[in-house]
Amino acid sequence: MPDLSPIYHIVAQLLPFECLQAGFMQQAMVGLILLAPMAAAMGVQVVNFRMSFFSDAISHSAFAGVALGLIFSINPHWTMPVFGLLVGLGIMAVQHKTTLSSDTIIGVFFSAVIAFGLAVVSRDRSVARDMQRFLYGDILTISNNDIIWLIALFIAFMIFQALSYNRLLYIGLNSTLAKAHSIRVATYQYYFAGLLALIVMFSVWAVGVLLVTALLIVPAAAARNFARSAGSMFWWSLIISITSAIAGLIISAQDWATTATGATIILVACFWFIISVIASFIRRDSIR
Amino acid sequence: MNKPDLMQKSADTAVSFEKVTVERGGILILDSVSAIVPIGGCTAIIGPNGAGKTTMLLTLLGEVPYKGFIHATCNINGGCSKIGYVPQRFAFDRGIPVTVAEFLAMGIQKRPLWFGISNKIKKRSLEYLASVKSEHLAERKIGALSGGEMQRVLLALALQQEPDLLVLDEPASGVDFQGEYIFCELLDGLRREKGFTQLMVSHDLATVTHHATHVICLNHKVAAQGPPRQALTNETLTAIFGMHMGMVDSRSMPGGSATCSGPCCNKDQNA
Ligand SMILES: Nc1ncnc2c1ncn2[C@@H]1O[C@H](COP(=O)(O)OP(=O)(O)OP(=O)(O)O)[C@@H](O)[C@H]1O
Ligand SMILES: [Mg+2]
Repeated sequence: MPDLSPIYHIVAQLLPFECLQAGFMQQAMVGLILLAPMAAAMGVQVVNFRMSFFSDAISHSAFAGVALGLIFSINPHWTMPVFGLLVGLGIMAVQHKTTLSSDTIIGVFFSAVIAFGLAVVSRDRSVARDMQRFLYGDILTISNNDIIWLIALFIAFMIFQALSYNRLLYIGLNSTLAKAHSIRVATYQYYFAGLLALIVMFSVWAVGVLLVTALLIVPAAAARNFARSAGSMFWWSLIISITSAIAGLIISAQDWATTATGATIILVACFWFIISVIASFIRRDSIR
Repeated sequence: MNKPDLMQKSADTAVSFEKVTVERGGILILDSVSAIVPIGGCTAIIGPNGAGKTTMLLTLLGEVPYKGFIHATCNINGGCSKIGYVPQRFAFDRGIPVTVAEFLAMGIQKRPLWFGISNKIKKRSLEYLASVKSEHLAERKIGALSGGEMQRVLLALALQQEPDLLVLDEPASGVDFQGEYIFCELLDGLRREKGFTQLMVSHDLATVTHHATHVICLNHKVAAQGPPRQALTNETLTAIFGMHMGMVDSRSMPGGSATCSGPCCNKDQNA
């Protein structure tokens, strides 16, 4: 396994805070710096596609993913992302094959995965305690191994965004027009849904089930207000998410705060959003 | 293909619909529609609201499931790979910060837009914008465009596909008189120059009689088709619109001031 300690060292050097001298904090910081921009950039498209309900359904399938792992005694670290991926692709496939509205389809999946997760949890009291981690997130226990997986996911994410950012924008604006102009709409949508499902599942570790969608949506929404073009929207979402993650982790570790890391990160992002609304008011060129 | 032969042989057909039937929720929207779109010409679909005109275009684009056959052979290779499409209503999220230049680049540029628009593609987009008299819109956000401005940008986007077949769903809706005139003149000119086939839905009988080389009168079924002067008889118009419309004088443009110089406006050719 590759040794990541030089990276942790650099993080500690660049951010000379006292709380970042502990190894687990450095790991958490690296994990967040990888995860937050992925979530935010995918969030730009989630907002364009109006897919926040979709990402909600995926994150809530974390329960069922963990439950499956417990039933078949497989490490939940594996069953969770795989199950999330299957749910995401399943929703996409049903959307393509039927004329039901996407809200209805996602709603059905949503209920099914929650009910399944709760059913398993209610059978086994000891699991119930474990479930707290998934509600509130647990970035501070991220392992070296997890970070290696995150790096792999990050590379896949960068390649995907570089190849499909423009086309996803097209599809998000109007999929009929994109299809008529020979963009392979369905292919892009499946890849997007698959990658989004994986990123959402990793984000569940960071900020918890309840706040995953916020990690996707809030930086992207703020970026929309700041940006004057589709290109700068991408950069704004990265800047906002990375700064929120760094500030959130550091604040949460201060003695006067001692708050949950995930919640603190989202609060900082929401603060960014408020500034973005004010900025767009001042500029007065925003529609809506 | 400058002068389309109006007595169609199958080799001169860009698209042929054969017994195309579309049913939605138990209602027959298209009832065994058989029609042809001559190659290199300007074919207009006319009919009242809800006649199934948009649906007919969507079957061609593969957006609506149908029974029957559609053969599209609009280029020399016998395929129809390049289609340009201007939708009737372009529903999009107006809050999205996308500039017109980015809007035109997003379908053709490989490099992600977060690295900016390449000079080559920018120049190309500006040329297409100029051809619809809208180069001043390049840096505007698409959410801030008026209906008519958006329509022009959409036409530029469709033309940028360098299409073999240009499909327009009421392209002139929301475009002012001068704009409409530009649309028709421009399209006639480009069609002559590039040799594409044009298929459009129009409500304006005057535009149709001036610009179309072939007309499909549709009201769930095909009531008549052929060159405008033959297809647009009083009986047909009464049949599809349900009342006496009367033939539109082909000499008068809307507003009565301008005349069309496109090849299909030539009376000899239409007759
Ligand atoms: N997605 C849909 N589901 C069910 N019915 C539909 C759908 N889209 C259109 N229709 C029905 O199909 C019929 C034809 O619609 P279409 O949009 O093709 O009409 P049109 O000829 O383009 O009318 P207009 O002139 O108003 O644009 C209408 O009665 C409409 O209610
Ligand atoms: Mg229509």
